[in-house]
Amino acid sequence: MKVKINGKVLNAKEGETILQLAKRKKIEIPSLCYKKGFEDLGRCRMCLVEIKNGRRKKIVSSCAYPVKENLEVQTHTEEIIKIRKDIVMLMYLKSPDNKYVQKLAEEYKIDEPKKYIQKINDDCILCGLCVEACRELGTNAISMVQRGSEKKVSTPYDDESKDCIGCGSCAEVCPTDAIKVEETENTRTIWNRKFELVSCKICGKNYTTLETIKYSEKLLGEEIEYICNECKKKITADTFKESFKNIY
Amino acid sequence: MIALENKIEINLKNTEKILEKYPKNKRYTLAMLQDIQRNYEYIPKEAMYEVSKYIESPLNEVYSIATFYKALSLEPKGKFVIKVCNGTACHIRGSDKVLDEIKSSLDIQPGETTEDGLFSVEIVNCVGACALAPVMVINEKYYGNMTKDKVHKVLEKIRRDNNEQQ
Amino acid sequence: MSSNKKILVCCGTGCLANNSYQVYEKFKSLTKEKEITVKPLVKPTGCNGLCEKGPVVKILPDDISYFKVKVEDVEEIIEKTIIKGKIIDRLLYFDTNTKTKITDHRNATFYKNQHKIALRNIGEIDPSKIEDYIERDGYEALKKVLFNFKPEKVLDMVEESYLRGRGGAGFPTGIKWKTCASYDNFPKYVICNGDEGDPGAFMDRSIMEGDPNTVIEGMIICAYAVGSNQGYLYIRDEYELARKNMQIAIDSAREHGYLGKNILGSSLNFDLEIVRGGGAFVCGESSALMASIQGKVGEPRAKYIRSVEKGLWEQPTILNNVETWANIPPILLNGPNWFKKIGVKDNYGTKVFSLVGKVKNTGLVEVPMGSSLRNLVFEIGGGIINDKEFKAVQTGGPSGGCIPKEHLDVNLDFDSLDDIGSMMGSGGVIVMDENTCMVEVARYYMEFLSEESCGKCTTCREGIKLMLDILTNITEGKGTKEDLDLLIDICHTVEKGSLCGLGQTAPNPVKTTIEFFKDEYLEHIENHRCPAGVCKNLTSYHINQDECIGCGICAKKCPVDAISGEPKKAHKIDQNSCITCGECYENCPVDAIKIGGGIVES
Repeated sequence: MKVKINGKVLNAKEGETILQLAKRKKIEIPSLCYKKGFEDLGRCRMCLVEIKNGRRKKIVSSCAYPVKENLEVQTHTEEIIKIRKDIVMLMYLKSPDNKYVQKLAEEYKIDEPKKYIQKINDDCILCGLCVEACRELGTNAISMVQRGSEKKVSTPYDDESKDCIGCGSCAEVCPTDAIKVEETENTRTIWNRKFELVSCKICGKNYTTLETIKYSEKLLGEEIEYICNECKKKITADTFKESFKNIY
Repeated sequence: MIALENKIEINLKNTEKILEKYPKNKRYTLAMLQDIQRNYEYIPKEAMYEVSKYIESPLNEVYSIATFYKALSLEPKGKFVIKVCNGTACHIRGSDKVLDEIKSSLDIQPGETTEDGLFSVEIVNCVGACALAPVMVINEKYYGNMTKDKVHKVLEKIRRDNNEQQ
Repeated sequence: MSSNKKILVCCGTGCLANNSYQVYEKFKSLTKEKEITVKPLVKPTGCNGLCEKGPVVKILPDDISYFKVKVEDVEEIIEKTIIKGKIIDRLLYFDTNTKTKITDHRNATFYKNQHKIALRNIGEIDPSKIEDYIERDGYEALKKVLFNFKPEKVLDMVEESYLRGRGGAGFPTGIKWKTCASYDNFPKYVICNGDEGDPGAFMDRSIMEGDPNTVIEGMIICAYAVGSNQGYLYIRDEYELARKNMQIAIDSAREHGYLGKNILGSSLNFDLEIVRGGGAFVCGESSALMASIQGKVGEPRAKYIRSVEKGLWEQPTILNNVETWANIPPILLNGPNWFKKIGVKDNYGTKVFSLVGKVKNTGLVEVPMGSSLRNLVFEIGGGIINDKEFKAVQTGGPSGGCIPKEHLDVNLDFDSLDDIGSMMGSGGVIVMDENTCMVEVARYYMEFLSEESCGKCTTCREGIKLMLDILTNITEGKGTKEDLDLLIDICHTVEKGSLCGLGQTAPNPVKTTIEFFKDEYLEHIENHRCPAGVCKNLTSYHINQDECIGCGICAKKCPVDAISGEPKKAHKIDQNSCITCGECYENCPVDAIKIGGGIVES
């Protein structure tokens, strides 16, 4: 079907959202809580766009709005830019010391009301990506608790998590580096729990926790060798080289 | 407070009975937690573990629900729970004066419990008795048309009657 | 039939709070004991509406209504009124408008202007007895529908009646039902939104407590029309009596064949389940409500695909408000033309309002759509308490706006209120007087919303918090002109950027109070004075030396002995000792005490 974004006519796929279409066609719509695989969270509100369907204009979140025939989308109207600016300003009030938020604040040239900056910096912007990551890739050990401005991501009772395997997926997807991971030579501490790291049997580097390996073994139903990602890639590349040799 | 802990130990068997009334479906999480709350006056950590085991759900999902819905409390409450209505009608008819008197009489803030475990105070939104504004509800009993004086008298009477019973 | 007297004792939550249940029990026990030739029937009923004067007791068929009845009065009532047929004057209703005592409450100004459809049975029946409901045409609409109309005809009738949703949005119910019916996707669900969360609103509570069967009947009719077999009643956690009475009604309805398999011998299967809320205002929002039923936290979702298409468990779902359901049986029984004779164009029928706040006759009323606000506040409501000056009403709760004096003649219907930038809301009407501070009202609503926000989206969660912080500063005397500009500015982003109705309508109380009462805001900011005498930091009391008559009442009322003066000579307030409690101001018989500004430390 035909959809217009910023005046440009595009071929949209049935069932996709405006944001998915834009990403496919390399049209920029900012978003903080969107990641391929974790869609339609609708938390950060940065992806708001103005749509026209028939006569009326409306502001919608592009990560959730499904494409329709003859939809017209504007991604950078004056109103939309002002809203994005305000959203960044609101985030800055909560996370003034966070370097990622500071970068955004500079980019959007915000004018923050200094009187309302929170005294205690809080890096988390509550995008929810860590919770999604833990649900999809981990063991569902963390979640959003409380509500309103008390809302935060934590383990039950802020206790050392029984379910966490220390895989670090949450920290990897976090856009503001809000999840504290402390690593020593042999340990990784995350969500108030200390994990033992295991070393790659090829290069000797400490690369993951024992719990992550055990969890993956459970999912796959077979034993896994302690080999880190880099070494695995190298092995795969070498295997290809070998088989290539045998063909020619 | 020791008496309370013993109460929990003995009554954890109650939790089983409470949960058995429901199918093993996470749809009933909130209902289960509310029944547990009614039984123990709050949700003990142990009881929450039981719920997550019963419905085969990760603990953090049950914890999320328990902290989202404000009808549930993770902290033990006092023997007498004072709910000060701050619905709009009560608010403009002076619920702040009611709250002030409670705060000064009992030396606690909303959400807290007195040291002797006798009173806790909460602010709630509209108990539906707007004609009697400002209203406070203590253990399901309604006290309407409250003034600072009346609040003081009610609290004193409860304390007196409670001491007599001991 | 011998004239069996009926004694109806109001047991709605408001009267219960005033010990009406003890009154009811006393009537029951004394009528058994006493020598009475024909024993009267004693019934507990739902809310009669005039909660200010409860407990209310009605005696039929004599049509005598007694108010503020105490347990001590019961014996006298039985002796004098039931046995001897005499009226007890002091218990009669005193109509403050006509300044007369009224025997039959239906003649009181409070009741005369009302037209009861949704509330037609409340106060007349025992809600726990389905027989009472059946006696008053209960389930007749359902019978008519099941055996005379095809589902399409039912949909046509509801659409033709142009019944609009009573939950606040005013969306045409018929269109909602027709859209849902058009989807060939089963199962479908029917939900009653009983999460009445607006503080000060108790319309839905009264209906669920006082006449639960009308809601049930409405839902069964809908199920027939759209093709549903399962319904849910989502009832707020705080409404214990409503849940109890609703469950009794569901059980009785099943026993009588109105619910379950093959209803009344037809091919319709439909049943109902009560789901208890958990203390979250946001669960009144339809997608959050459905998430809650599904066992999740009450976080709304973006509603670009309507819930009539994909709602509960992604299935077509009808969600309507309690009052909307209550209107369905009468509309189907009497026909859409009957309904359209009441109200005004495009806004037919009646609306139930909970009239609360600084008004003399606090209570529950049902008036035809299009009645004037002035009529509601001054005729039915009897005017402002202590005859103070009217300042504004708040409609629509935290999502609504204030209506000031200049719009007092607005008509109460969806479209007229929309035209002046306000909204109907669910029916809560909070009356405010000269001693209500509009800035504080805005702050109060922002405080409420910041606690109730689910916290999912940035604009609502952080935006409302910012608005609250700014308003708190203003009410404490720390506000600046820049703060006011920022407050007005952020409203737009919160409105347009938020995910759901809670955030989108949150700026309304702020925007409307600033629009109509900007001077009051500026008085707080520039002169450090709260003209209403509410914001304690910005209030001081001064006795006008020329007007004071030296009666000394103020000095007696003062809790900290801050007032001094000779008898018959002008008194003075010591500003250092004064705690600005306002007792002197409230009690001065000649209004000699004026409100000055506060002394704020910079």
